[in-house]
Amino acid sequence: MKLRRREFLKLSAASVGALALGEQVGASSLPNPLARVPAPWYATGVTQSYSICENCFWKCGITAHVAGGKVFKVEGYQGNPKSRGRLCPRGQGAVAQVYDPDRLKHPLIRVEGTARGEGKYRTASWDEALDYIADHMLDIKDRYGSESMAFFGHCSGDSWFVEYLPGAWGSPNAAKPSVSLCTTPRETASQWTFGRPVGGHEPVDWENTRYIVLIGHHIGEDTHNTQLQDFSLALASGAKLVVVDPRFSTAASKADRWLPIRPGTDTALLLAWLNVLVDEELYDRDYLDRYAVGFDELALHVKKFTPEWAAPITDLPAEAIRIVARELAAHAPEAVIPPGRHTVWYGDDTQRMRAQYLVNALLGNVGRPGGFYIAQPPYLEPYPHPPFVLEPAAGGCGGAEVTTEESNSDFRPAADRGKFFARTTAIQELIPPMITGEPYPIKGLIAYGVNLFHSIPNVPRTKEALRELDLYVAIDVMPMEHVMWADVILPEASYLERHDDLVAIAHKTPFIELRTPAIEPLWDSKPGWWIARELGIRLGLEAYFAWQDIEEYLDRRLTAIGSSLEQAKQVGTLIQKGRPYLEDWEARNRSPFGTPSGKIELYSETFAQNGLDPLPVYTPPEEVPQGYYRLLYGRSPVHTFARTQNNWILMEMHGENAVWVSVAEAERQGLSNGDYVWLENQDGVREGPVQVYATERIRRDCLYLVHGFGHKSSSLAIADGRGASDNALQTRYTLDPISGGAGLRNNFVKLIPGAPRPRHPNLARLARERRI
Amino acid sequence: MARYAMAIDLAACVGCAACAVACKLENEVPSGEHQLWIRMREEGIFPDLAVLYRPEQCMHCDRPPCVPVCPTGASYRSEDGLVLVDPEKCIACGACVAACPYDARFFHPDGYVGKCTFCRHRIQGGRLPACVETCPTLCRTFGDLDDPDSDVSIALREAERIDILRADRGTKPKLYYLNTPPAFGPHLEEVAS
Amino acid sequence: MTTFYGLPNSGAFWHWPTLIHFLVVALAGGTALLVAVLAFRRDLAARRYALVALILVVLDLLLLWAESSARFRLTHIWLFLGFHPGSAMWWGAWGLTGSAAASALIALGWGPRRFWATLLLMTATITLLYPGLLLAANNARPLWTPLLLAFVPVTSLVIVLGGVLLLRWAWVKPWFLAASLSSVFLGGLYLVGLAVGGFEARQALVHFWEHAGWLFLVGLGLMLSAVALLRRFPALAGLAAFAGAALARTLIVEVGQFQPFGL
Ligand SMILES: Nc1nc2c(c(=O)[nH]1)N[C@H]1C(S)=C(S)[C@@H](COP(=O)(O)OP(=O)(O)OC[C@H]3O[C@@H](n4cnc5c(=O)[nH]c(N)nc54)[C@H](O)[C@@H]3O)O[C@H]1N2
Ligand SMILES: Nc1nc2c(c(=O)[nH]1)N[C@H]1C(S)=C(S)[C@@H](COP(=O)(O)OP(=O)(O)OC[C@H]3O[C@@H](n4cnc5c(=O)[nH]c(N)nc54)[C@H](O)[C@@H]3O)O[C@H]1N2
Ligand code: SF4
Ligand code: SF4
Ligand code: SF4
Ligand code: SF4
Ligand code: SF4
Ligand SMILES: [Mo]
Repeated sequence: MKLRRREFLKLSAASVGALALGEQVGASSLPNPLARVPAPWYATGVTQSYSICENCFWKCGITAHVAGGKVFKVEGYQGNPKSRGRLCPRGQGAVAQVYDPDRLKHPLIRVEGTARGEGKYRTASWDEALDYIADHMLDIKDRYGSESMAFFGHCSGDSWFVEYLPGAWGSPNAAKPSVSLCTTPRETASQWTFGRPVGGHEPVDWENTRYIVLIGHHIGEDTHNTQLQDFSLALASGAKLVVVDPRFSTAASKADRWLPIRPGTDTALLLAWLNVLVDEELYDRDYLDRYAVGFDELALHVKKFTPEWAAPITDLPAEAIRIVARELAAHAPEAVIPPGRHTVWYGDDTQRMRAQYLVNALLGNVGRPGGFYIAQPPYLEPYPHPPFVLEPAAGGCGGAEVTTEESNSDFRPAADRGKFFARTTAIQELIPPMITGEPYPIKGLIAYGVNLFHSIPNVPRTKEALRELDLYVAIDVMPMEHVMWADVILPEASYLERHDDLVAIAHKTPFIELRTPAIEPLWDSKPGWWIARELGIRLGLEAYFAWQDIEEYLDRRLTAIGSSLEQAKQVGTLIQKGRPYLEDWEARNRSPFGTPSGKIELYSETFAQNGLDPLPVYTPPEEVPQGYYRLLYGRSPVHTFARTQNNWILMEMHGENAVWVSVAEAERQGLSNGDYVWLENQDGVREGPVQVYATERIRRDCLYLVHGFGHKSSSLAIADGRGASDNALQTRYTLDPISGGAGLRNNFVKLIPGAPRPRHPNLARLARERRI
Repeated sequence: MARYAMAIDLAACVGCAACAVACKLENEVPSGEHQLWIRMREEGIFPDLAVLYRPEQCMHCDRPPCVPVCPTGASYRSEDGLVLVDPEKCIACGACVAACPYDARFFHPDGYVGKCTFCRHRIQGGRLPACVETCPTLCRTFGDLDDPDSDVSIALREAERIDILRADRGTKPKLYYLNTPPAFGPHLEEVAS
Repeated sequence: MTTFYGLPNSGAFWHWPTLIHFLVVALAGGTALLVAVLAFRRDLAARRYALVALILVVLDLLLLWAESSARFRLTHIWLFLGFHPGSAMWWGAWGLTGSAAASALIALGWGPRRFWATLLLMTATITLLYPGLLLAANNARPLWTPLLLAFVPVTSLVIVLGGVLLLRWAWVKPWFLAASLSSVFLGGLYLVGLAVGGFEARQALVHFWEHAGWLFLVGLGLMLSAVALLRRFPALAGLAAFAGAALARTLIVEVGQFQPFGL
């Protein structure tokens, strides 16, 4: 009875919301007595073309539907193994970005005499803007060496800017946020356990699995399209699900068991599972004999990590820990603990990921149906260009180029080298050299589709670094805050207005995807390939850009593998055959495990030689200081990072984030749902105001924020000031000494009540200005 | 002639709103209005919790209270059992908005009442409604109730539990909710397929 | 707790223009009824007041047209081309149009006056009844109970007779008294009916009480005070009843739009 009443009030509140949004009833344009109801877009001739979604980095194949010169809708298509005819909410809504009037429209040059961050710009021609950049880059090269130019990039077009250009130009300081702020722990652990990358498309054999354990990994809120489809299909066909998460995530709401673990203690849980598997002899002995080394060392190592040991650490009952281990074993090898993707948590992340992989290995599920299939990249040759002066090493979520060797001794190693074992280039470690000049100065930066102020921790430091630079160029589609700090801003054509390089996906059935423009670039925007080429020519790198336009380039690459651009345009996706299981490899007498031993390394000799723990150990996370909560964060199903908060359609679905607080703590602090608070972190940084979401769905010791909100830029009419930024509160990170990953979950926040309810311009009005 | 219906498996729905976004674009639903929305509700005390994600839209009732109240005949039920509005006939009087027990209708700024059409233009071309086509969890099914082999008929047969909303209203909705989580039981009436 | 991606269309759908229409239609229908009665009584004033009724009806029709966001598509024509007896709105359209025609003819003094009077009696009655029907037909909205079938026309009469009192027509006093008293009675019954109704009705009552409770009582109170004032201050009584009835009805229309339940 009580609850019904509360709900009923909630609904009245929602009605008020609906009223506020729905005021516009009444004709919006001048009335015409003869006007009939306008014909829907699909009633006028619609044409379709193939492309790739760009609202996140999953790269689903899409068709763009154009009527009267405008794209009205994008859809997935059956022939594409990423979309399989379906799209996630973000992919569906991405079209709105193309017609956002806030988009960057012309090249801009910062007004002489103004400081970075003041946001004063004048329109420039492309020639002027590109000449400006080239002059400054060549100047930096003369004065400090080519390594002093850094290249940051993310997005489908990033290969031009973090691989092609830096490779040709000669800078090892090229990096992506999707490495050291995302996947590097899992990739590093995978390299030194299985000798293979996980890869951008996690090779979980969903269709055959019967038992799934998700550690964090909030599928459902993390809406990577195919993964969500596969996850759902697996559950529909009866797979059991266990979710380990301090928060009752969407995935937890679908789970058979939810383990509300104390944050940061997952390694202890995994060690306990290893203990049970070994102790009760539940591992796959034959599999390990054939494919693994180091079992004895592991067995000895995990002896003391009993569930009883782990129980007080993890705040989980020993019995529950034991049961899950047994159930995992009972379903093996069709049982799997998927790697998750965002794995930079507490700074000991490579070891946690190693532990996670070892559980999988003991279940004998790698290369077996129901566990992990073995993903391979499609066959595709690079465009025949002169050799790069420096091999690109930015890596990506598709598996970091993990290397311990320098590729060219004529150049200084990347400015972050030496800090950690896996020499992936860590984007956040390239910031300090901009300030300190150590080990050598970084004086210039090209940021292509990277959200410097929302993706990289310690924003004050980033701002300080940007102030120190001689040249800062931003290539983007939106006037994000960090973009409005650049010396030169180059407006890229949006994903539906351009070609990009081919996208090659390592998969069960490896495939190549094509992006073709559905419409001409709006305003004065240009595609990334064009920008890279024009800049390259101005930098004296014309030999690398011997092709005249992208179609020539694409056709050459496709012809080299027996296809053609024409053919690719007809089908959108070119699918090849893979070798997903161990038997496929054994039939050819090959091993998929590229470790030094050629086997799964339960015990890592290489780690031991480098003074690292060769077997996973549990490091307790930093304690939560009195009066603070640990700040956790994750995804909204309808948003991608900090890039979609100016998209009216997605904002109508989820218009601001709220800070999740346990009901008990909210009551203790006298807060109720819908109150606004400030968040203040351990370093005194304040963020907000943000709404309180008091819920039973989270442990008492932590708070939770959806990442990506809290933009502070008047150029983003919708995004500005809505919600709070987790990144602003992450002024610290714990560097994982093995992978270079920046552990973001050692930031602590307190709630400060009494913040004013922020006033925002009416979303419906802003949305109306943005209709296609 | 068909009897179109839709079913949503709530055991699978993750409330991602891909359906709602797809509907907005497919049907050019104006800002501030929704033909489809997701209701999310939580129950229980830590750690015994349940969350319900329930997409809602026009139920294409077999006995639609919104149709007889329409003074112009703009609201009508098609031969296929779709409940539709002819925008050219609609005078935006709101009688049908008042009559709908599911809050499914809204005033379109172009001067008529809008609502989910089961994407009639798509199903006429043999395609699925936009929301069904895109749903990443595959929890939506659509089809002809009179055809035992249609997706929706199969889904209804295989469901462990079927609910309709506000069964007491006698509207006979043709949007079925399958496998509602047990924690959200009592206020929904179970019906036999 | 319940949250949404997107929102159900649960907000108010009728805004102030519709609320005004509900008042004007009461005036129009009531006046038309009065004119019909006058015409039957062969009152010479009938012609004059038929003009007033005509103006009110036309005003209401114009209002209806103007408040519709479809006004420039001229789709109102469909109202008269179809046969939709299940729709209160359709009856209303014919009621108003018929009243306009009949009162125009009476005002002009052409043709068979008794016949026009009979016609006007019928169309005016429809005009008076249909708003109640329009509300009561919605079994989706628990605040719009079948009782409104009576409450709405009776309060319409209060509104009109309240106005007429200002003209010092003594003969309407008993009618006014009866209408006011039954309005107050029905208003009370409305609340009681909700209170003893089912679970949903009680929830609706809570909602009504939170959003309109005191004002509704004030409305009923004003009508009651009119009864007391009638003897000595008839004009004041008329005003009070007019205000009270208008207030009480408007609140029911306004607040009753909500479906105050989470589905
Ligand atoms: N809609 C949407 N989907 C996305 C993205 C997006 O922007 N939007 N981004 C994509 C990208 S690039 C990535 S990397 C992924 C990220 O998505 P995931 O790989 O799923 O990220 P995680 O950090 O594992 O998941 C966050 C969850 O971890 C829980 N958590 C927090 N601390 C702990 C802890 O100490 N232990 C455990 N066990 N759980 C904890 C949080 O409560 C939250 O539920 O999402 C991808 N999918
Ligand atoms: N605090 C915090 N930090 C995080 C995370 C977190 O959860 N919390 N998540 C981490 C993870 S997992 C990842 S993968 C990274 C993601 O980090 P980013 O990729 O930096 O994240 P986005 O916010 O999507 O920023 C993308 C930028 O690209 C621009 N853009 C969009 N489309 C285009 C285009 O077509 N062309 C060009 N040139 N630009 C475009 C956008 O406007 C935006 O400026 O962030 C990491 N950092
Ligand atoms: S997962 Fe969604 S946003 Fe990402 S590429 Fe696919 S459809 Fe686009
Ligand atoms: S798209 Fe599917 S899973 Fe997502 S909210 Fe809609 S019905 Fe649920
Ligand atoms: S859900 Fe509402 S609008 Fe749809 S048919 Fe039923 S009553 Fe009519
Ligand atoms: S608003 Fe349109 S569809 Fe609804 S009842 Fe009125 S005329 Fe009919
Ligand atoms: S069937 Fe079509 S109109 Fe109806 S909710 Fe789905 S997408 Fe929208
Ligand atoms: Mo990521």
